[in-house]
Amino acid sequence: METASILRREEAPETQERRVFPYHLLERPEGDLVPKFLEAFAWVLEYTDYKPLLDSYSTSNAKCNRCAVSCPVLLASGDPKDIPCYRTNLLLDIYRRYFTLNGWFKSRLTDAFELTEDIIDEMGDIFYRCTVCRRCARACPLGFDHGLITRLGRYILSLIGIVPKALQVSVQEQLQGETRNTSKVPRAGLLDILDFLSEEMEDTLGVEVEFPTDKKDRDYVFFCAVSDYLMEPDTLMGNAAVLYAAGDWDRWTIGLCNYDGINYGLFYSDWHLENIIKQLVSEVERLGGKNILIGECGHASRAAHDFIPTFMGDRAPPVYNFMEYTLDCIRKGKIKLNRDIITEKVTYHDPCNIARSGWIVDQPREILRSFVRNYVDMTPNGEDNLCCGGGGGLVSVDEIHDFRMNVAGKMKARQIEQTGAEIVVAPCANCKKQLKELVEHYELPCEVMGLHDLILKAIEIPGAKSPEERKEEAALFAM
Amino acid sequence: MQAWIDFAKGPLFAFTFLFMILGLARQVVLQLYFLTAKKGRRLRDVSWGAMLKETLSWLIPFRHNVPGTEVFSAASFLMHIGVLLVPLLLVDHIVLWEGFFGVNLPAMGPGLADVLTLLTIGCVLALLAFRLFRTSHRVVSAPWDYFLLVMVLLPFLSGYLASHPAVNPLSWEVMFLTHLLSAEVLFVLVPTTKLAHVVLFFFDRISGVHWQLRPGAGDKVAEALYGEEVKI
Repeated sequence: METASILRREEAPETQERRVFPYHLLERPEGDLVPKFLEAFAWVLEYTDYKPLLDSYSTSNAKCNRCAVSCPVLLASGDPKDIPCYRTNLLLDIYRRYFTLNGWFKSRLTDAFELTEDIIDEMGDIFYRCTVCRRCARACPLGFDHGLITRLGRYILSLIGIVPKALQVSVQEQLQGETRNTSKVPRAGLLDILDFLSEEMEDTLGVEVEFPTDKKDRDYVFFCAVSDYLMEPDTLMGNAAVLYAAGDWDRWTIGLCNYDGINYGLFYSDWHLENIIKQLVSEVERLGGKNILIGECGHASRAAHDFIPTFMGDRAPPVYNFMEYTLDCIRKGKIKLNRDIITEKVTYHDPCNIARSGWIVDQPREILRSFVRNYVDMTPNGEDNLCCGGGGGLVSVDEIHDFRMNVAGKMKARQIEQTGAEIVVAPCANCKKQLKELVEHYELPCEVMGLHDLILKAIEIPGAKSPEERKEEAALFAM
Repeated sequence: MQAWIDFAKGPLFAFTFLFMILGLARQVVLQLYFLTAKKGRRLRDVSWGAMLKETLSWLIPFRHNVPGTEVFSAASFLMHIGVLLVPLLLVDHIVLWEGFFGVNLPAMGPGLADVLTLLTIGCVLALLAFRLFRTSHRVVSAPWDYFLLVMVLLPFLSGYLASHPAVNPLSWEVMFLTHLLSAEVLFVLVPTTKLAHVVLFFFDRISGVHWQLRPGAGDKVAEALYGEEVKI
């Protein structure tokens, strides 16, 4: 039954010594990991709801292997260990052997599968080669969600200390640190950045605004990936421009106790996912906000949209992605975008976390087609999109840059090249970082930006500089 | 020989068939119990309509085509049609169902049954070839996966040969007994192996349900493992 053993036998000569993970660990777990892993697995089964899922998956796993041709990582690597079904079976084999009656009997009667340190090392490696984009789930006739299993495998590994340092230290800071955010941006730093953005908006748009912070009882409490405050000022100014132009400037606020939408718990831990969600909702409740507005970030949007109702029940405020808000403004005629500003060929990258479920697929396209004359879709796209190669937290792990460029993102780079687009719109902080690196790595003749970066160029703001005027100024500045 | 055939046709058939039905029922009951007991109220937050639509859409051939899997998918799809229809609607089986359960199902013509049987045999062989000769299939396959395909093949092959004396290399009795026994082994295998996907398919497809995580579970797991010390 144990499919995993086949590959392990082939690899046996290389796995005599403890494998060094491709990512850094905060500290190398000491001692015999096998009993620790099984103990963690047992407690997870005791308190969570994964048992029926694992029972069903481990019994009915037909191994038809259709998933093998849908995984962007596997398509690029050609390495059998990247087959989603193979990866899933690593964990299912352990479940069958140690947590089912059949496995118990089999272990008494035959020379059955045994968990070893090698297998734990292999899981530590393989589970972080997957970008948890869940494209394979769409190819599975039985409906297996391999992303769910990868995530569960990562969760159990994290409980015994195997998790990329980059993710772990970010979560530590977010849940226990002074700043309560993943980029360690202190409150004073945030206020400085917001002042800078105000000045920039005055210079470029010609509007005088003060970013609303800690305002009570507003309709929207805004959270973006906190890294956007450091790296994506145009995206944020685009967001702000829409709110200003729509006349909603006094309907939103940024909280000063918690302003980070990032939730790495989505990638590797139910525990952290829930506690980060609670922290976020507490901030909204402190401010008396009515809705949560998430900036351009795929995983932050999905974490809030899908898991606030799960964990908070009746206390769950409604969650909107900023693109939903912007589209609503366009449809209601609250904002106007100039169709003559963006002349470049533009394409759109669907972030897996908001597109795979079909939640946000048409909205950004409707927005883009309303003001971009030369828009072209990638193939495949929407719910069937290809991951950028940085999903599942991989983009934050700098030490696997080569893997992200040459394997995980290779199919995406080819896909972008085939569109011939000059601008790739990616409304997600993680995708944007990965795609920018891909563009540089493959020397693609295009620029990666957020949707609201583009909107910032084309939005008409009554009483302020016109988009044409701004375009001329930008051209002069560029010279 | 006749005594063996009578035993296989009678009590052994009844026992193994009942074993299959009860075994599958057990799988369904356990899943339903776990889901309702563990997920409870949160099941309401699941979009069941969308999931049902998605499930039914897999009945449309090539609706979910993934480039590169056309031949495999076609073989798999056609095999499932044969595997479900022939045992149920073949004239000789209709008599069996009526005798045991008193249900009178519409019979399919012998010509159609032959075509479907041969198609099923061909498709199972094709799936076996994929598993044997394509690296990506071989890597995820264990001996058991090959064995199950052969076990699915046997009742169809022996059934066809038993009903076509011209191509049957053995005696009718031997072939018929092989047919009965292989089918009965399959009855036992269905609820106890991955063939249980005949019912678990519906529970696999509701993967969305399992994203409805249990509130508070993460804290309890951490407390059990680390005690008071919060170790992020």
